Amino acid sequence: MARSFVRNHRSYETTYFESPANPILAYHHQPLKVRSLCEDTVTSYQNFFRKLLSLKMGDQLECALDLMRRLPPQNTEENLSQLISLVPSLHEDLVNAVDQPLKVATCPITNKEYLQSTFNRDGDSFRSPWSNEYDPPINDGIVPSSKTRKLEIAANDAFNTYREMYYEGGNSAAYFWDDQGQDGFSGAVLFKKVGDSVRKMKGAWDSIHVFKANERGRNAHYKLTSTVMLYTITSKSELGNLNLSGSMTRQFDADYPFEEPNAHIANIGRMVEDIELKMRNLLQEVYFGKTKDIVNDLRSINSLSESQKQANMHGELNSSEMNKILLEILVLENYQRTRQFWCNIINT
Amino acid sequence: MDLSVEEKLRIVSSFLLDSPPGEVSEVYSGKFWFCVLIPDVSVLLNNNSVFQEGLLDALRQYNIEQYVTVILPEQESKVILSKYGQLENDRFFDPKSHKTFKVDHMSQDVIEVEPEPQTPDETTEPLRSAVETAISEYVADHYPKGASATYSTGETITIAIVDDKFNPKNLWNGRWRSTWVISPESGEIKGSIKINVHYYEDGNVQLNSTKDIEITSSPVNSEDLAASAAAYSKSICKAENEFQNALNESYVELSENTFKGLRRALPLTRHKIDWDKISNYKIGQELANKS
Repeated sequence: MARSFVRNHRSYETTYFESPANPILAYHHQPLKVRSLCEDTVTSYQNFFRKLLSLKMGDQLECALDLMRRLPPQNTEENLSQLISLVPSLHEDLVNAVDQPLKVATCPITNKEYLQSTFNRDGDSFRSPWSNEYDPPINDGIVPSSKTRKLEIAANDAFNTYREMYYEGGNSAAYFWDDQGQDGFSGAVLFKKVGDSVRKMKGAWDSIHVFKANERGRNAHYKLTSTVMLYTITSKSELGNLNLSGSMTRQFDADYPFEEPNAHIANIGRMVEDIELKMRNLLQEVYFGKTKDIVNDLRSINSLSESQKQANMHGELNSSEMNKILLEILVLENYQRTRQFWCNIINT
Repeated sequence: MDLSVEEKLRIVSSFLLDSPPGEVSEVYSGKFWFCVLIPDVSVLLNNNSVFQEGLLDALRQYNIEQYVTVILPEQESKVILSKYGQLENDRFFDPKSHKTFKVDHMSQDVIEVEPEPQTPDETTEPLRSAVETAISEYVADHYPKGASATYSTGETITIAIVDDKFNPKNLWNGRWRSTWVISPESGEIKGSIKINVHYYEDGNVQLNSTKDIEITSSPVNSEDLAASAAAYSKSICKAENEFQNALNESYVELSENTFKGLRRALPLTRHKIDWDKISNYKIGQELANKS
């Protein structure tokens, strides 16, 4: 059971970007059923029925993800486990497609903290990026090829520096895996920062960047899906309890030149840095701008009839100002014309 | 291991009750039932009255808790569904028109209005109706799409206020609910405010805010009910304004402190990272740590 889970997860990753299995993206994109039917020619009845079955599964998954997109993000973990108990057949798909808060654990070999996620999990064990060993240990846990592991080590190093510069604390991890039968690899770059509880306000940031790198001659093509989960909780006497939480996802595609394997790290680094800045601005706008505007749309602190009166007065004022400007223009034109008139007379 | 019908019902009900404003029908929609719960949903819905009844209970509870509004025929103002106006499971009364009506909790529609309005209690009605007038005026002046209901609840007067705005086209919905219980004898007013906002463009962001408030106004003046009602309404307006101001301020604080403390917009150097020299930063930091 544990083994099949990871294998499924890995094969699932190859379609992750083509058919946005992400709860959020699935909503906006063509469901995967259409593509999977058209792409492959159906060769036998057996195959056909398998397709039909998967088609239904796709629908089911999409509905489940739509539901997750509406339930309070504050309880994602609980909602997910309840949904799985309702529909056990979707267990693997849901665990892979729904982003959950990252967990911090300590690697028993290096004694360093690492992040647990679906990307370094095999059954109930998680692979530490520092030691490359599973915790708790398992015999045949999947590990990246030595070439990919070398890149993974370099990426963990680089993103650890990046984390210190941008997060000034928290945790980072990079997990890479080999894409079977393709020139390239996939990976996830993760950051987690839990804020200090200042003035009864708590916050946590989790970012999950999943990418796929395809080497095409001297260029590499990258597909990146980034999700940031931001949780804030405030509890104060004048305010009561306020919980403003959720997640947002964005996708990004780019081609970068690469001369040697290590160029991947710099390329992925630039992409992650760019998208994190964009998403930070987006979160700022949505969390502290949009939801605030909606609240103030629901109720107005100022009297609505007063505001209406003021708006009317403002309108009148504006029109009287406009008259003034028009008058000035007329005077000016008149002045110029008069001047021209006298100039002409003087000249003649 | 399969869950029992009761366990399934409990989970599904909790999902329904957690639906964001204006989205209960999305959560409840056929999509969910027929796809997520296939194959056992049709069995559950057709053959199991426990499940059906349970679902209806959850929807009813949702409508009442969320102050869902309905419109009575030939009436302009919205009528709030609340436990204070609930006569039986599906029968409610509108304190403004004194009419009683039946609601379909699944569609949130009025299905039947009784021709004879109820006769209000003679002793409590004058004050209730005075408060109703003051509160309706207040709600119209501060809630662009607001609805209110003023009930006589024994020794007390209970006010329910709701304003919701659904904008699924732009992928957001929001609801503000307040409940105020006035004790006219003492002038004590207890209230609670609840706000839910859901923003779901390429994401799922929700604001959940709750605040309990206790304020003291003056005891009722039986000589001038209108003046007392105006004083209550003024106290409520003040308390709600104070809360909303605190909320707006905490938005600024969250953004200025909490959010900034999680992740910087740029590193201390004020420059983006030079990825070709990423290892240099590490050496630089190590040197900085040593000195």
